[in-house]
Amino acid sequence: MRDDSNQRRLTRRDFLAAAGSGLVLGPAFLASCGAPAEPTAFVPRAAAPPAATYFARFGVDEALMSRVLGEALARGGEYADLYFQHEVVNYLALEDGAVNQAYARIKLGCGVRVLQGDQTGFAFTEDLSPEALSSAARTAAVVANAAGVPGPAAFARGAPPNYYMIDQPWSSVSLDRKIPFLDRANAAAAAFDKRIVKVRVFVSDTESRVLVANSAGGIVEDFRPMTTAYCTCVAEDKGRREENYHSFGKRRGFEQYSDAVMTELGETAARKAVVLFEAAPPPAGEYPVVLAPGLSGILLHEAMGHGFEADFNRKGISVYSGRVGQKVAPEFVTIVDDGTVPNERGSLNVDDEGQATARTVLVENGVLVGYLHDLISARHFGVAPTGNGRRDCYMFPPVPRMRNTYMLNGPHDPAEILRSVKKGIYAETFSNGQVNIGAGDFSFYLKNGYLIEDGKLGRPVKDANLIGFGPKVLEQVQMVGNDLALDRGAGTCGKDGQRVPVGMGLPTVKCGGISVGGVNDG
Amino acid sequence: MDERSMRDLAGRAISEARAAGAQDARAFVTRSRDVTVEWRDGKLDRIRESTAQSLSVSLYVDGRFSASGTSDLRPDAVAQFVRGMVGATRTLAPDPHRHLPDPARYAGATQADLQISDPAVATVAPDARLADARRLEEAARAGDGDGRIVSVTAGVGDTEAAWVGMSTNGFDATERSTSFGRSIEVAVRDAGDRKPEGYAYADACFAADLPSIEALGAEALRRADGQRGSKQAPTGSYEVVIENRVVSRLARYLFGALAGEDLQQKSSFLEGKLGARIGSELLTVTSDPHLPRGLATSAWDSEGMVTSKLPVFEKGVVKTYFLDTYYASKLGAQPTTGEWNNLVWTKGKRDAAAMIAGMKKGIFVTDFTGGNSNGTTGDFSLGIKGFYVEKGAIAHPVSEMNLAGNHLEIWKQLVEVGNDPWTSAGNRAPSLRFKKAQCSGT
Repeated sequence: MRDDSNQRRLTRRDFLAAAGSGLVLGPAFLASCGAPAEPTAFVPRAAAPPAATYFARFGVDEALMSRVLGEALARGGEYADLYFQHEVVNYLALEDGAVNQAYARIKLGCGVRVLQGDQTGFAFTEDLSPEALSSAARTAAVVANAAGVPGPAAFARGAPPNYYMIDQPWSSVSLDRKIPFLDRANAAAAAFDKRIVKVRVFVSDTESRVLVANSAGGIVEDFRPMTTAYCTCVAEDKGRREENYHSFGKRRGFEQYSDAVMTELGETAARKAVVLFEAAPPPAGEYPVVLAPGLSGILLHEAMGHGFEADFNRKGISVYSGRVGQKVAPEFVTIVDDGTVPNERGSLNVDDEGQATARTVLVENGVLVGYLHDLISARHFGVAPTGNGRRDCYMFPPVPRMRNTYMLNGPHDPAEILRSVKKGIYAETFSNGQVNIGAGDFSFYLKNGYLIEDGKLGRPVKDANLIGFGPKVLEQVQMVGNDLALDRGAGTCGKDGQRVPVGMGLPTVKCGGISVGGVNDG
Repeated sequence: MDERSMRDLAGRAISEARAAGAQDARAFVTRSRDVTVEWRDGKLDRIRESTAQSLSVSLYVDGRFSASGTSDLRPDAVAQFVRGMVGATRTLAPDPHRHLPDPARYAGATQADLQISDPAVATVAPDARLADARRLEEAARAGDGDGRIVSVTAGVGDTEAAWVGMSTNGFDATERSTSFGRSIEVAVRDAGDRKPEGYAYADACFAADLPSIEALGAEALRRADGQRGSKQAPTGSYEVVIENRVVSRLARYLFGALAGEDLQQKSSFLEGKLGARIGSELLTVTSDPHLPRGLATSAWDSEGMVTSKLPVFEKGVVKTYFLDTYYASKLGAQPTTGEWNNLVWTKGKRDAAAMIAGMKKGIFVTDFTGGNSNGTTGDFSLGIKGFYVEKGAIAHPVSEMNLAGNHLEIWKQLVEVGNDPWTSAGNRAPSLRFKKAQCSGT
């Protein structure tokens, strides 16, 4: 018997960080170190006296949290935190014309972390009894080796802003109300083109409750909704077959769904599938690539974003290590990582260390101005945390991760960008990407695009891996359009064996130095 | 949770499902304990210890189906969860193809000792993990005479896992397994800001089967060094050797196309190819679920059907589709099993180094980086790293290149399989040599 994949067991390598971070689309603490961060962290504070936390229903109160934090610091250590999570995911699937599969997953647990310098002790438990929490705390404590520190005498509750206002929480929506929307996408895809022979629709919704309590006496809670929808279409024409998909992902409730949204989902998936009949892999070799707005933000995510994550930089292994303050791109390039975009997939009210999120500028007018931090790296570099400490779930300690990463508008007209290319590729949709942090080479897989011939779009192309050296591609960005779009798809980033939802975006951008993995006779 | 509690929980879940109106149900209770120590640049970096436990249930209610899992194992929560899911299942469309496996498929599980559980897992001392991780880093640093190493992270860990499975039509089994792993990543200085990484790893069911710490550490440094000064080779058609440990990155799309789900959903380039030749004579692969100490060894599959040896490819001919009960029913075929186990390839005479020594001009692929494959057409394009080979010798390392083609073509180009099966994965592929493949660079 196995889990749901043919990767029967995770290889040990999955637990290590550095190589091969990637993305799949589709489907104040430590005052002693001089960090400017406020020791008790979770600002702003609530003025009113706190109500009971969500986790009180599991028997977790402040006295218990204080005791467990004390046990986590029983062998010393500079900081400890508890990450409680209760997550309910529902997943519905339509296949062969009927919504006939439902899946649900409930996760309940608590991760206990102890930090000693940049060293981490971590354990989790899925039993929230006082005994089980104490046992996890004692396990995490082994990282330190000094005199014990008591847990906080009192807690102050953080009151973060809300970047994901919703109308209809998923816990109030019964399964039968969702079914018509899957049927809607299926009908739209099937009606779009008679060559569509198979349609599948998947809709998932998630409600995750998290609570972070730390040894500096901070407590903060967050309620995180999410929904994703995918439609995949197989088309058949004269004995040939093609398949493609379309998706969206948002921190929204049931109000995200409408006939119009699902019709567009189904029609777009169908359109992206049938256009592939006219497409062929592009010719192999190196030529200019024009990135369409939106999903092409995958280039930023892979070529630069991972390299800006501060864990790789404090270890000195990123290709961008030691380059803060240097020019890394033309002056019309500004890149941000933004946790505050309302309802976007990568947005967070607080990160998984309880820190406030922000719109963090990474490259400003071509100059690298900072990295993406968690508490460990912020302390290492003596800067304020940026709210990028994220984790897959309570089973993992947090590491610096992107949220919504995008490039701001530049000075060029998109039509002018296209006209400037004699022979090249116009890259529109992608399925996945990857980067080697230290070597700096990154790749992303082109699913739909066009040849550019004499400044105009030519025949459609498909199925080519695009590869380049991140710093060189960034330095040589040739033109940036004024048409920034955020991708609406369901992007998921993998790193350190952990998956987190992310967003991305890009205006039309012209790049050089990218090798196109096509075929000669394309 | 001990095995008895696991059995109680699975039994309770089945009873609850029945009481709530499910005609059939299957429950799995799993438990795994994992300890990982990461040692970086002279000190402990992270220590992680965890015990995960979960219940998963498949429900068959009035001709309808759902499958769910939870880690909230409080008795009241379990009862509420199962009852809630039985109710939700009733609102779905009926599906005549959903049913439990034929109970005859549960019988006759192998009685052989599969050796997938090493008793040594219970006696690993915490200090021993730390000492091993430290030695692993030191083994890599021992080769660093000139300070070119930027950072080393070494990991040592072990896992023990167990599951109990039961169904309303007679499935009742339990299995325990262990795994031990070591891994190391080394980053070295190169021109400009480049810091190429090399990694080495090993996984095994039994601790005693792991390679030596010294060899693993030295290998990671050698691999990082090997990538220094990498550049692209010219775009062209080359003879290509793919190193054993990364063959599965290309081959997984080939095996994936044998899955019942993809076949039934018309998204497999191997549809209609059962019995047809799609590769060269050298493509012979067997799925062996009973290989002692194999990382994909198991007496049962994920539906509880007993496993048996299956020919997957024989001299390039497709011999098996992987059909679980559901997709077999949809396709009007008999179920085989929904997943493969240890993939054992025909063994050749030489290893990768010997193949390279015999190559006039070509590419030796040692790693893949990104890329994908179109499951419907078989077109693929994958990023590669490795070496440009001329006259039997390595000329220079390559990176930022792609390997592209179609699965229905490239496996016909397979001209040699190595004698060096990779044992740290379920797919025990040897190094492979292809006569001709498209590589793009400059």
